[in-house]
Amino acid sequence: MEDQTPKKEVHSSFKGLYKNARISVKTLDKFIVGGILAMILILFYGVANNGYLATYDSKGGTDVPSQEFMYGDLLDEPEPPTREGYRFVGWYMDENCFYPFDFEATADGDVTLYARWEKVE
Amino acid sequence: MSELKEKGNALKAMNAKDRKRAIGDIMMNNAMFIIIAIAIVLIALKEPAFVSVPSIINIINLTAAKLPIALGVGGCIILAGTDVSAGRQVGLAACIAASLQLTTNKLFPEMGVQAWYVALAAVIVVGAILGFVNGFCMAKFKLHPYIVTLSTQLIIYGIILLYLQLGTNSGQTLSGMNPAYRELITGELFRIGNTVVPMYVLYSVIITIIVWVIWNKTAFGKNMYAVGSNEEAANVSGVNVVRTIIMVFMMAGALYGITGFMDAARIASVNATTGLNYEADAIAACVIGGISFVGGIGKVSGAIIGVLLLQVIFTGLTYLSVDQNLLFIVKGLIILVACAIDMRKYLVRK
Repeated sequence: MEDQTPKKEVHSSFKGLYKNARISVKTLDKFIVGGILAMILILFYGVANNGYLATYDSKGGTDVPSQEFMYGDLLDEPEPPTREGYRFVGWYMDENCFYPFDFEATADGDVTLYARWEKVE
Repeated sequence: MSELKEKGNALKAMNAKDRKRAIGDIMMNNAMFIIIAIAIVLIALKEPAFVSVPSIINIINLTAAKLPIALGVGGCIILAGTDVSAGRQVGLAACIAASLQLTTNKLFPEMGVQAWYVALAAVIVVGAILGFVNGFCMAKFKLHPYIVTLSTQLIIYGIILLYLQLGTNSGQTLSGMNPAYRELITGELFRIGNTVVPMYVLYSVIITIIVWVIWNKTAFGKNMYAVGSNEEAANVSGVNVVRTIIMVFMMAGALYGITGFMDAARIASVNATTGLNYEADAIAACVIGGISFVGGIGKVSGAIIGVLLLQVIFTGLTYLSVDQNLLFIVKGLIILVACAIDMRKYLVRK
Protein backbone atom coordinates (compact mmCIF):
# COMPACT_ATOMS: atom_id res chain seq x y z
CA MET A 1 0.00 0.00 0.00
CA GLU A 2 2.76 2.40 0.93
CA ASP A 3 4.25 2.05 -2.49
CA GLN A 4 1.15 3.12 -4.35
CA THR A 5 0.67 6.52 -2.79
CA PRO A 6 3.67 8.27 -4.41
CA LYS A 7 2.82 6.73 -7.78
CA LYS A 8 -0.62 8.30 -7.72
CA GLU A 9 0.89 11.66 -6.90
CA VAL A 10 3.34 11.25 -9.75
CA HIS A 11 0.80 10.84 -12.48
CA SER A 12 -1.59 13.46 -11.21
CA SER A 13 1.15 16.06 -11.60
CA PHE A 14 1.07 15.70 -15.37
CA LYS A 15 -1.21 17.74 -17.58
CA GLY A 16 -1.87 18.23 -21.25
CA LEU A 17 -0.56 15.48 -23.51
CA TYR A 18 1.38 14.01 -20.57
CA LYS A 19 -1.67 13.49 -18.38
CA ASN A 20 -1.60 9.71 -18.77
CA ALA A 21 2.14 9.35 -18.15
CA ARG A 22 3.10 7.09 -15.25
CA ILE A 23 6.79 7.25 -14.69
CA SER A 24 9.17 8.21 -11.89
CA VAL A 25 12.02 10.68 -12.17
CA LYS A 26 14.51 7.84 -11.78
CA THR A 27 13.15 5.86 -14.73
CA LEU A 28 12.92 9.02 -16.81
CA ASP A 29 16.57 9.77 -16.05
CA LYS A 30 17.58 6.31 -17.28
CA PHE A 31 15.60 6.87 -20.46
CA ILE A 32 17.14 10.30 -21.05
CA VAL A 33 20.68 9.03 -20.47
CA GLY A 34 20.00 6.07 -22.78
CA GLY A 35 18.72 8.32 -25.53
CA ILE A 36 21.65 10.70 -25.19
CA LEU A 37 24.10 7.77 -25.33
CA ALA A 38 22.43 6.52 -28.52
CA MET A 39 22.82 9.97 -30.06
CA ILE A 40 26.47 10.16 -29.01
CA LEU A 41 27.08 6.75 -30.61
CA ILE A 42 25.55 7.95 -33.88
CA LEU A 43 27.66 11.10 -33.64
CA PHE A 44 30.88 9.12 -33.19
CA TYR A 45 29.86 6.83 -36.02
CA GLY A 46 29.41 10.01 -38.06
CA VAL A 47 32.81 11.43 -37.08
CA ALA A 48 34.49 8.12 -37.94
CA ASN A 49 32.64 8.01 -41.24
CA ASN A 50 34.78 8.19 -44.36
CA GLY A 51 32.05 9.73 -46.40
CA TYR A 52 29.62 8.67 -49.06
CA LEU A 53 30.29 5.89 -51.50
CA ALA A 54 30.17 6.28 -55.25
CA THR A 55 29.82 2.91 -56.97
CA TYR A 56 30.34 2.46 -60.68
CA ASP A 57 28.42 -0.17 -62.62
CA SER A 58 30.29 -0.53 -65.88
CA LYS A 59 27.53 -2.75 -67.33
CA GLY A 60 29.76 -5.29 -69.04
CA GLY A 61 32.83 -3.10 -69.38
CA THR A 62 36.05 -3.29 -67.38
CA ASP A 63 35.62 -2.87 -63.62
CA VAL A 64 35.80 0.62 -62.15
CA PRO A 65 36.69 0.83 -58.43
CA SER A 66 34.23 2.61 -56.14
CA GLN A 67 35.18 5.93 -54.53
CA GLU A 68 34.55 7.54 -51.17
CA PHE A 69 33.79 11.25 -51.06
CA MET A 70 32.80 13.83 -48.45
CA TYR A 71 29.76 16.09 -48.52
CA GLY A 72 30.45 19.19 -50.59
CA ASP A 73 33.34 17.60 -52.51
CA LEU A 74 33.18 16.93 -56.22
CA LEU A 75 33.55 13.39 -57.48
CA ASP A 76 36.70 12.68 -59.47
CA GLU A 77 35.68 11.33 -62.82
CA PRO A 78 37.29 7.87 -63.05
CA GLU A 79 39.23 6.53 -66.01
CA PRO A 80 36.60 5.44 -68.55
CA PRO A 81 36.08 1.67 -68.73
CA THR A 82 36.48 -0.22 -71.97
CA ARG A 83 34.35 -2.89 -73.62
CA GLU A 84 34.95 -4.81 -76.78
CA GLY A 85 32.79 -3.69 -79.68
CA TYR A 86 31.41 -0.68 -77.80
CA ARG A 87 32.29 2.97 -77.26
CA PHE A 88 31.93 4.49 -73.76
CA VAL A 89 29.46 7.42 -73.76
CA GLY A 90 29.46 8.50 -70.12
CA TRP A 91 28.18 7.89 -66.61
CA TYR A 92 24.44 7.98 -65.95
CA MET A 93 22.41 8.10 -62.75
CA ASP A 94 19.79 5.50 -63.77
CA GLU A 95 20.05 2.01 -65.21
CA ASN A 96 18.31 3.03 -68.42
CA CYS A 97 20.99 5.66 -68.95
CA PHE A 98 18.61 8.56 -69.34
CA TYR A 99 19.91 11.10 -66.80
CA PRO A 100 23.62 11.86 -67.26
CA PHE A 101 25.62 12.47 -64.08
CA ASP A 102 27.14 15.91 -63.74
CA PHE A 103 30.65 15.68 -62.28
CA GLU A 104 30.58 19.46 -61.73
CA ALA A 105 27.73 19.15 -59.20
CA THR A 106 27.90 17.78 -55.66
CA ALA A 107 25.97 14.74 -54.45
CA ASP A 108 24.56 14.47 -50.93
CA GLY A 109 24.33 10.72 -50.51
CA ASP A 110 25.62 7.42 -51.82
CA VAL A 111 25.46 7.26 -55.60
CA THR A 112 25.56 4.44 -58.10
CA LEU A 113 26.51 5.41 -61.62
CA TYR A 114 25.89 3.33 -64.73
CA ALA A 115 28.02 3.26 -67.84
CA ARG A 116 26.37 3.89 -71.19
CA TRP A 117 27.72 2.10 -74.22
CA GLU A 118 27.25 2.71 -77.89
CA LYS A 119 27.76 -0.15 -80.37
CA VAL A 120 30.64 0.45 -82.74
CA GLU A 121 29.67 -0.51 -86.30
CA MET B 1 22.69 36.83 -15.46
CA SER B 2 21.37 37.64 -11.97
CA GLU B 3 19.21 34.54 -12.22
CA LEU B 4 22.35 32.45 -12.75
CA LYS B 5 24.03 34.13 -9.78
CA GLU B 6 21.04 33.38 -7.60
CA LYS B 7 21.15 29.75 -8.65
CA GLY B 8 24.89 29.68 -7.92
CA ASN B 9 24.35 31.10 -4.43
CA ALA B 10 21.53 28.65 -3.79
CA LEU B 11 23.86 25.81 -4.79
CA LYS B 12 26.55 27.00 -2.34
CA ALA B 13 24.05 27.11 0.50
CA MET B 14 23.09 23.44 0.08
CA ASN B 15 24.68 20.46 1.77
CA ALA B 16 26.72 18.00 -0.30
CA LYS B 17 23.90 15.57 -1.07
CA ASP B 18 21.41 18.24 -2.13
CA ARG B 19 24.06 19.95 -4.18
CA LYS B 20 24.80 16.74 -6.04
CA ARG B 21 21.12 16.27 -6.79
CA ALA B 22 20.69 19.90 -7.89
CA ILE B 23 23.64 19.61 -10.28
CA GLY B 24 22.18 16.35 -11.58
CA ASP B 25 18.88 18.12 -12.21
CA ILE B 26 20.58 20.91 -14.12
CA MET B 27 22.53 18.39 -16.25
CA MET B 28 19.40 16.37 -16.98
CA ASN B 29 17.19 19.36 -17.79
CA ASN B 30 19.80 20.72 -20.19
CA ALA B 31 20.91 17.36 -21.59
CA MET B 32 19.75 18.29 -25.09
CA PHE B 33 21.79 21.51 -25.13
CA ILE B 34 24.84 19.69 -23.76
CA ILE B 35 24.72 17.02 -26.47
CA ILE B 36 24.26 19.69 -29.16
CA ALA B 37 27.28 21.60 -27.82
CA ILE B 38 29.36 18.40 -27.87
CA ALA B 39 28.17 17.70 -31.41
CA ILE B 40 29.12 21.18 -32.63
CA VAL B 41 32.63 20.88 -31.18
CA LEU B 42 33.20 17.37 -32.59
CA ILE B 43 31.89 18.26 -36.03
CA ALA B 44 33.88 21.50 -36.15
CA LEU B 45 37.06 19.58 -35.28
CA LYS B 46 36.48 17.02 -38.03
CA GLU B 47 35.16 19.41 -40.69
CA PRO B 48 36.33 23.00 -40.05
CA ALA B 49 34.24 24.19 -43.02
CA PHE B 50 31.17 23.64 -40.81
CA VAL B 51 31.99 26.73 -38.74
CA SER B 52 33.01 28.91 -41.70
CA VAL B 53 31.01 32.08 -42.45
CA PRO B 54 29.18 30.70 -45.54
CA SER B 55 28.12 27.63 -43.58
CA ILE B 56 26.82 29.70 -40.65
CA ILE B 57 24.88 32.00 -42.98
CA ASN B 58 23.47 28.94 -44.72
CA ILE B 59 22.29 27.60 -41.34
CA ILE B 60 20.63 30.93 -40.52
CA ASN B 61 18.92 31.04 -43.93
CA LEU B 62 17.52 27.54 -43.50
CA THR B 63 16.42 28.39 -39.97
CA ALA B 64 14.50 31.38 -41.33
CA ALA B 65 12.85 29.19 -43.97
CA LYS B 66 11.60 26.71 -41.37
CA LEU B 67 10.61 29.19 -38.67
CA PRO B 68 7.04 30.02 -39.78
CA ILE B 69 5.92 26.36 -39.74
CA ALA B 70 7.50 25.88 -36.30
CA LEU B 71 5.64 28.92 -34.97
CA GLY B 72 2.39 27.48 -36.35
CA VAL B 73 2.97 24.10 -34.72
CA GLY B 74 4.14 25.90 -31.57
CA GLY B 75 0.73 27.55 -31.17
CA CYS B 76 -0.97 24.15 -31.44
CA ILE B 77 1.41 22.68 -28.84
CA ILE B 78 0.69 25.55 -26.43
CA LEU B 79 -2.95 24.41 -26.61
CA ALA B 80 -1.65 21.05 -25.32
CA GLY B 81 -2.27 19.76 -28.82
CA THR B 82 -0.11 19.25 -31.86
CA ASP B 83 -0.43 19.24 -35.62
CA VAL B 84 0.89 16.36 -37.70
CA SER B 85 -0.78 17.69 -40.86
CA ALA B 86 1.59 20.69 -40.94
CA GLY B 87 4.02 19.22 -43.48
CA ARG B 88 1.32 18.22 -45.95
CA GLN B 89 -0.32 21.64 -45.56
CA VAL B 90 3.00 23.23 -46.52
CA GLY B 91 3.14 20.84 -49.49
CA LEU B 92 -0.34 21.79 -50.67
CA ALA B 93 0.43 25.50 -50.27
CA ALA B 94 3.65 25.05 -52.26
CA CYS B 95 1.72 23.27 -55.04
CA ILE B 96 -0.92 26.02 -55.16
CA ALA B 97 1.66 28.83 -55.10
CA ALA B 98 3.71 27.12 -57.80
CA SER B 99 0.68 26.40 -60.00
CA LEU B 100 -0.24 30.10 -60.00
CA GLN B 101 3.30 31.11 -60.92
CA LEU B 102 4.23 28.66 -63.70
CA THR B 103 5.36 30.25 -66.93
CA THR B 104 3.92 27.34 -68.92
CA ASN B 105 0.96 26.26 -66.85
CA LYS B 106 -0.07 22.68 -67.51
CA LEU B 107 -2.61 22.63 -64.66
CA PHE B 108 -4.64 25.64 -65.76
CA PRO B 109 -3.52 26.28 -69.36
CA GLU B 110 -5.81 29.26 -69.92
CA MET B 111 -4.87 31.10 -66.72
CA GLY B 112 -1.27 32.21 -67.22
CA VAL B 113 0.96 33.73 -64.54
CA GLN B 114 -0.81 35.45 -61.65
CA ALA B 115 0.52 38.25 -59.49
CA TRP B 116 2.47 37.09 -56.42
CA TYR B 117 -0.10 38.53 -54.03
CA VAL B 118 -2.84 36.44 -55.64
CA ALA B 119 -0.77 33.32 -54.91
CA LEU B 120 0.01 34.50 -51.37
CA ALA B 121 -3.67 35.28 -50.65
CA ALA B 122 -4.69 31.89 -52.10
CA VAL B 123 -2.30 29.89 -49.87
CA ILE B 124 -3.25 31.87 -46.76
CA VAL B 125 -6.97 31.35 -47.40
CA VAL B 126 -6.52 27.62 -48.12
CA GLY B 127 -4.32 27.28 -45.01
CA ALA B 128 -6.88 29.04 -42.84
CA ILE B 129 -9.69 26.81 -44.16
CA LEU B 130 -7.70 23.65 -43.40
CA GLY B 131 -6.82 25.11 -40.00
CA PHE B 132 -10.50 25.76 -39.39
CA VAL B 133 -11.30 22.08 -40.09
CA ASN B 134 -8.53 20.96 -37.71
CA GLY B 135 -9.55 23.41 -35.00
CA PHE B 136 -13.26 22.67 -35.32
CA CYS B 137 -12.74 18.92 -34.92
CA MET B 138 -10.34 19.51 -32.01
CA ALA B 139 -12.68 21.90 -30.19
CA LYS B 140 -16.02 20.25 -30.88
CA PHE B 141 -15.30 16.53 -31.09
CA LYS B 142 -12.74 16.68 -28.25
CA LEU B 143 -10.70 14.10 -30.16
CA HIS B 144 -7.02 13.60 -29.48
CA PRO B 145 -5.18 16.16 -31.64
CA TYR B 146 -3.05 13.43 -33.23
CA ILE B 147 -6.14 11.65 -34.54
CA VAL B 148 -7.69 14.81 -35.96
CA THR B 149 -4.55 16.02 -37.67
CA LEU B 150 -3.60 12.52 -38.85
CA SER B 151 -6.93 12.39 -40.68
CA THR B 152 -6.51 15.81 -42.23
CA GLN B 153 -2.92 14.90 -43.15
CA LEU B 154 -4.22 12.00 -45.27
CA ILE B 155 -7.01 14.08 -46.77
CA ILE B 156 -4.58 16.85 -47.72
CA TYR B 157 -2.19 14.33 -49.29
CA GLY B 158 -5.05 13.08 -51.44
CA ILE B 159 -5.89 16.64 -52.44
CA ILE B 160 -2.25 17.30 -53.39
CA LEU B 161 -2.13 14.20 -55.61
CA LEU B 162 -5.42 15.13 -57.30
CA TYR B 163 -4.34 18.76 -57.69
CA LEU B 164 -1.18 17.69 -59.50
CA GLN B 165 -3.32 15.60 -61.89
CA LEU B 166 -5.20 18.70 -63.07
CA GLY B 167 -5.04 19.73 -66.73
CA THR B 168 -2.33 17.84 -68.61
CA ASN B 169 0.15 17.77 -65.73
CA SER B 170 -0.52 14.10 -64.79
CA GLY B 171 1.23 14.30 -61.42
CA GLN B 172 4.54 15.68 -62.63
CA THR B 173 6.86 17.98 -60.69
CA LEU B 174 6.00 21.67 -61.07
CA SER B 175 9.00 23.74 -62.12
CA GLY B 176 9.77 26.73 -64.31
CA MET B 177 8.25 29.46 -62.16
CA ASN B 178 7.81 33.14 -62.89
CA PRO B 179 11.26 34.75 -62.34
CA ALA B 180 9.67 37.79 -60.64
CA TYR B 181 8.19 35.50 -57.99
CA ARG B 182 11.46 33.65 -57.44
CA GLU B 183 13.27 36.98 -57.24
CA LEU B 184 10.78 38.20 -54.63
CA ILE B 185 11.61 35.26 -52.33
CA THR B 186 15.18 34.26 -53.12
CA GLY B 187 16.50 37.65 -54.32
CA GLU B 188 19.44 39.18 -52.52
CA LEU B 189 18.67 41.03 -49.29
CA PHE B 190 22.35 41.69 -48.63
CA ARG B 191 25.52 39.67 -48.85
CA ILE B 192 28.27 38.85 -46.40
CA GLY B 193 31.46 38.09 -48.26
CA ASN B 194 30.28 36.00 -51.19
CA THR B 195 27.33 34.47 -49.39
CA VAL B 196 23.89 35.82 -50.20
CA VAL B 197 21.30 36.37 -47.50
CA PRO B 198 18.01 35.99 -49.39
CA MET B 199 14.83 38.06 -49.07
CA TYR B 200 12.88 35.31 -47.33
CA VAL B 201 15.02 35.81 -44.21
CA LEU B 202 13.51 39.30 -43.94
CA TYR B 203 9.98 37.93 -44.42
CA SER B 204 10.62 35.32 -41.78
CA VAL B 205 11.76 38.00 -39.33
CA ILE B 206 8.62 40.07 -40.03
CA ILE B 207 6.38 37.00 -39.53
CA THR B 208 8.15 36.16 -36.27
CA ILE B 209 7.60 39.69 -34.96
CA ILE B 210 3.90 39.53 -35.90
CA VAL B 211 3.51 36.16 -34.17
CA TRP B 212 5.34 37.50 -31.08
CA VAL B 213 2.90 40.43 -30.90
CA ILE B 214 -0.11 38.12 -31.33
CA TRP B 215 1.11 35.67 -28.66
CA ASN B 216 2.15 38.27 -26.11
CA LYS B 217 0.22 41.49 -26.67
CA THR B 218 -3.28 40.51 -27.77
CA ALA B 219 -6.27 39.17 -25.86
CA PHE B 220 -6.32 36.25 -28.31
CA GLY B 221 -2.73 35.33 -27.37
CA LYS B 222 -3.51 35.46 -23.67
CA ASN B 223 -6.59 33.31 -24.25
CA MET B 224 -4.44 30.80 -26.12
CA TYR B 225 -2.12 30.40 -23.10
CA ALA B 226 -5.12 30.25 -20.75
CA VAL B 227 -6.89 27.52 -22.76
CA GLY B 228 -3.62 25.58 -23.05
CA SER B 229 -2.83 25.62 -19.35
CA ASN B 230 -6.36 24.89 -18.11
CA GLU B 231 -9.30 24.71 -20.46
CA GLU B 232 -11.97 24.52 -17.76
CA ALA B 233 -10.59 27.45 -15.81
CA ALA B 234 -10.38 29.48 -19.02
CA ASN B 235 -13.97 28.63 -19.84
CA VAL B 236 -15.16 29.65 -16.37
CA SER B 237 -13.35 32.96 -16.60
CA GLY B 238 -15.20 33.80 -19.80
CA VAL B 239 -12.78 32.77 -22.56
CA ASN B 240 -14.48 31.43 -25.66
CA VAL B 241 -12.55 28.15 -25.74
CA VAL B 242 -13.92 26.83 -29.03
CA ARG B 243 -13.21 30.07 -30.87
CA THR B 244 -9.70 30.30 -29.40
CA ILE B 245 -8.80 26.75 -30.46
CA ILE B 246 -10.17 27.28 -33.98
CA MET B 247 -8.34 30.60 -34.32
CA VAL B 248 -5.01 29.09 -33.19
CA PHE B 249 -5.32 26.35 -35.82
CA MET B 250 -6.37 28.88 -38.48
CA MET B 251 -3.35 31.02 -37.67
CA ALA B 252 -1.17 27.90 -37.87
CA GLY B 253 -2.71 27.07 -41.26
CA ALA B 254 -1.96 30.57 -42.54
CA LEU B 255 1.66 30.21 -41.34
CA TYR B 256 1.98 26.84 -43.15
CA GLY B 257 0.58 28.55 -46.24
CA ILE B 258 3.28 31.22 -46.05
CA THR B 259 5.95 28.54 -45.51
CA GLY B 260 4.70 26.77 -48.65
CA PHE B 261 4.66 30.04 -50.59
CA MET B 262 8.31 30.64 -49.67
CA ASP B 263 9.36 27.01 -50.16
CA ALA B 264 7.98 26.76 -53.70
CA ALA B 265 10.25 29.63 -54.79
CA ARG B 266 13.16 28.54 -52.57
CA ILE B 267 13.28 24.94 -53.82
CA ALA B 268 12.04 25.91 -57.33
CA SER B 269 10.47 22.52 -57.99
CA VAL B 270 7.36 21.26 -56.27
CA ASN B 271 5.86 17.78 -56.24
CA ALA B 272 3.79 15.54 -54.02
CA THR B 273 6.70 14.93 -51.63
CA THR B 274 7.26 18.63 -50.90
CA GLY B 275 6.68 19.24 -47.21
CA LEU B 276 6.95 15.58 -46.28
CA ASN B 277 7.94 15.21 -42.60
CA TYR B 278 8.26 18.96 -42.06
CA GLU B 279 5.99 18.58 -39.03
CA ALA B 280 8.51 16.24 -37.41
CA ASP B 281 11.20 18.92 -37.60
CA ALA B 282 8.79 21.58 -36.37
CA ILE B 283 7.56 19.53 -33.41
CA ALA B 284 11.13 18.55 -32.47
CA ALA B 285 12.22 22.19 -32.67
CA CYS B 286 9.36 23.36 -30.44
CA VAL B 287 9.99 20.70 -27.78
CA ILE B 288 13.73 21.44 -27.72
CA GLY B 289 12.90 25.14 -27.42
CA GLY B 290 10.80 24.56 -24.31
CA ILE B 291 7.31 24.75 -25.83
CA SER B 292 5.79 22.08 -23.64
CA PHE B 293 3.19 19.40 -24.31
CA VAL B 294 1.99 20.21 -20.80
CA GLY B 295 0.13 23.09 -22.44
CA GLY B 296 0.14 26.83 -21.87
CA ILE B 297 3.92 27.03 -21.77
CA GLY B 298 6.25 28.28 -24.49
CA LYS B 299 7.72 31.37 -26.06
CA VAL B 300 8.46 32.60 -29.57
CA SER B 301 12.14 32.75 -28.62
CA GLY B 302 11.97 29.05 -27.69
CA ALA B 303 10.77 28.16 -31.18
CA ILE B 304 13.59 30.22 -32.72
CA ILE B 305 16.23 28.53 -30.56
CA GLY B 306 14.74 25.11 -31.27
CA VAL B 307 14.70 25.54 -35.04
CA LEU B 308 18.23 26.97 -35.00
CA LEU B 309 19.70 24.16 -32.86
CA LEU B 310 18.02 21.48 -34.94
CA GLN B 311 19.34 23.09 -38.12
CA VAL B 312 22.85 23.25 -36.64
CA ILE B 313 22.73 19.54 -35.77
CA PHE B 314 21.43 18.44 -39.17
CA THR B 315 23.74 20.68 -41.18
CA GLY B 316 26.59 19.33 -39.04
CA LEU B 317 25.64 15.72 -39.64
CA THR B 318 25.42 16.47 -43.36
CA TYR B 319 28.96 17.88 -43.22
CA LEU B 320 30.06 14.60 -41.66
CA SER B 321 28.51 12.85 -44.69
CA VAL B 322 26.44 10.69 -42.35
CA ASP B 323 24.09 8.32 -44.12
CA GLN B 324 20.88 10.33 -44.76
CA ASN B 325 18.78 7.44 -43.49
CA LEU B 326 20.36 7.72 -40.05
CA LEU B 327 19.09 11.30 -39.78
CA PHE B 328 15.53 10.01 -39.38
CA ILE B 329 16.61 7.92 -36.40
CA VAL B 330 18.36 10.93 -34.88
CA LYS B 331 15.22 13.06 -35.38
CA GLY B 332 13.03 10.47 -33.68
CA LEU B 333 15.47 10.15 -30.78
CA ILE B 334 15.61 13.91 -30.37
CA ILE B 335 11.81 14.16 -30.10
CA LEU B 336 11.56 11.30 -27.58
CA VAL B 337 14.44 12.50 -25.41
CA ALA B 338 13.28 16.13 -25.55
CA CYS B 339 9.80 15.03 -24.42
CA ALA B 340 11.30 12.97 -21.59
CA ILE B 341 13.33 15.99 -20.45
CA ASP B 342 10.23 18.18 -20.72
CA MET B 343 8.24 15.69 -18.61
CA ARG B 344 11.02 15.52 -16.06
CA LYS B 345 10.93 19.29 -15.52
CA TYR B 346 7.28 19.24 -14.50
CA LEU B 347 7.66 16.09 -12.46
CA VAL B 348 10.52 17.55 -10.42
CA ARG B 349 8.88 20.97 -10.04
CA LYS B 350 5.95 19.36 -8.23
